[in-house]
Amino acid sequence: MKSIFFHLMPYPELPPDFPDEHRSVWVDIDPALYDPEVGNRTYNEYLDELEFAASCGFDAVGVNEHHSNGYGLMPSPNIIAAALSRNCPDTNIVVLGDSVALYNPPLRVAEEIAMLDGITGGRMVAGFPVGSPMDTIFAYGQNPATLRERYHEGVDLIRQAWTRDEVFSFNGKYNKLRYVNVWPRPVQQPHPPIWIPGGGSVDTWDWCAQEDLVYCYLSYFGYKAGLKTMQGFWKKVQETGKEANPFQGGFAQFIAVADTEKEAWDLYREPAEYFFNTCLHVYAGFADPPGYKTPNTVRAGVEGMVERAAREATARAEAKKSSTGGGYPKGLSFEEMVEKGYVILGNPTQVAEQVHELATTMHIGHLMTFCHFGNMNKDLVRYNTEMYATKVMPEVCDLFEDEYEDLWWPQPLDQPARRDVPEVSVS
Amino acid sequence: MASTSRPTRPSRRTGGIGQLSAYAAETLPFREGHLALVSCGEGSPVTYLHGMLGNPGEHAFLKALANNGWRVTAPSLPGFTGSSEPRGLRNLHDWVVAASELIDLAGVTGHPVVASSVGAMIALELATIRPEAFDAMVLIAPFGLWDPQDPVADPFATTLSNQRKMLTADPAASASFFDDLEEMPADLLVEHGVDRYLTRSASAQLIWPIPEFGISERIHLVKNPVTLVHGAKDAIIPASYLNKWEQILPNVVGVHCVEEAGHQAEFDRPEDIAAIATSALS
Repeated sequence: MKSIFFHLMPYPELPPDFPDEHRSVWVDIDPALYDPEVGNRTYNEYLDELEFAASCGFDAVGVNEHHSNGYGLMPSPNIIAAALSRNCPDTNIVVLGDSVALYNPPLRVAEEIAMLDGITGGRMVAGFPVGSPMDTIFAYGQNPATLRERYHEGVDLIRQAWTRDEVFSFNGKYNKLRYVNVWPRPVQQPHPPIWIPGGGSVDTWDWCAQEDLVYCYLSYFGYKAGLKTMQGFWKKVQETGKEANPFQGGFAQFIAVADTEKEAWDLYREPAEYFFNTCLHVYAGFADPPGYKTPNTVRAGVEGMVERAAREATARAEAKKSSTGGGYPKGLSFEEMVEKGYVILGNPTQVAEQVHELATTMHIGHLMTFCHFGNMNKDLVRYNTEMYATKVMPEVCDLFEDEYEDLWWPQPLDQPARRDVPEVSVS
Repeated sequence: MASTSRPTRPSRRTGGIGQLSAYAAETLPFREGHLALVSCGEGSPVTYLHGMLGNPGEHAFLKALANNGWRVTAPSLPGFTGSSEPRGLRNLHDWVVAASELIDLAGVTGHPVVASSVGAMIALELATIRPEAFDAMVLIAPFGLWDPQDPVADPFATTLSNQRKMLTADPAASASFFDDLEEMPADLLVEHGVDRYLTRSASAQLIWPIPEFGISERIHLVKNPVTLVHGAKDAIIPASYLNKWEQILPNVVGVHCVEEAGHQAEFDRPEDIAAIATSALS
């Protein structure tokens, strides 16, 4: 099993009463709350954390794309990947991913991933999410009724751009290009592995199963809640007659490891509560615009992960308004988060056991680990990262590796070029 | 555009949500799918082009028009109540062409029209390029204009229950759209929900993110006599837009701001709006 150190890059200094005083951390969050000096410090700390994780031996580091929010400060994951590409020479980089429908044209994604693959010598994974409703519909004005169609056309354009060995025209419904000719070409052939992060759409299962793409369920709510979704995906894979290779699956999980369980409870409470009660304080009206879900998903009664988070956040806010007394609204408690499996917590043995259970129960070969979450300070991030890398990862890294081949993992050059900046010599 | 005669043996919806039983409900082949259409009443013909709520069965406005001596034909635009999803409709031009085909297919070309909300927007756009599409027009809160100082509200960045409150002054007025029938079988319950979702999606496809497509540049082409109606409590399009339309339409023959009525005023005050329409179109 591969462990990917995944970073969301949240804004860490929203006020404690944020859920009480503001309706949403996403879309219409007050711009006055963003302090550029905090941003400067935060971006550099987060890049340090990613590079540290790479040095600890994680199989990859991961980044993603979000807009207009305090949940994640990466409108351009490719910029972060570029910052990492030279400083982490042996680590794979998972961009999970570029919201294809938001690029005009999506060819830009093909170009930038090819650039990154070139710089890294073939260590890129290209992730293509449809994108959350907050990002795509409300922040970027995409039409919910046509978003998925636009997205699929964009992915088709990117795949053709990478694989066709000729200059070609693309006459799509949303993209019309006379001369498609991506230079550079990706190092990995036919192209970097493509992973599809999903939040619960049943049509995405079908598509990933049919097209041999990795389906990554990036859930906030842990493996106990995510099991049904992954079972739905594996059922689709089996219906295609293909082997259920665990490396065709991915899952995201919050990790909180310490020398003792008690320490873990003490150390990780605040950052977990910040993440679940502040970073996920999304107004429900932004979570389910009509047309965003396919009729099949509506018919199946599936609630997306973002929709669920927003519904619960709005319900808590409304419950607070209708209750007497003041103060900080009662959010999700850390005890509930751990009990429900949102956060895997404990000493290294306990965490390894739970990760093992997660991986085997859900049949997952790629685990996106959140060793940073919420407003965790950099020292705690370093501690959690190192604990996981040195004491948990060795216990789970062999899972599935003997029985299955990871067909969706970067295939870098044998001898890639590396950073080679000479020292300045002053005579 | 030549008129297309309707089939002599139209297919009728059976079962379904059961709300169309009081009307003649039918589906007509349209491109690769179908269009749903309801009709009621006897008398002079009038077309109803629906708004964001579509044609949710036995809504009182169609009955009120019929009671005023009209033979009402109410087609559902692509994607709305019972019609196939709007595949291939990439932009406003595509929608207007589809609407042009629709009125010919439904046999209502040249009839007077009462159009609401998104339907009113489409009717206006169609009238700019095809003056004979409609006779006189009664337009209820059309989309199409945008004043940044007094913007149209966003009816999608909200929960379903709040959207309901935005569409009519009295949420109960849209029960036929938002509420499920009692004792509805489970599978029909699911499909009713899907139908509702698809209707809401079709509205989003038409007017998201900002419903302004340059109509003010071509509005001078609408020579039809137009009666404007607007709910005083319209929570989506401010009532001030009534005056904006009056100022730019070349041939306004009536202006009505209706108290205790919201965006889809014909749901809140069906008899009053039907009386206004009857007076305007007779």
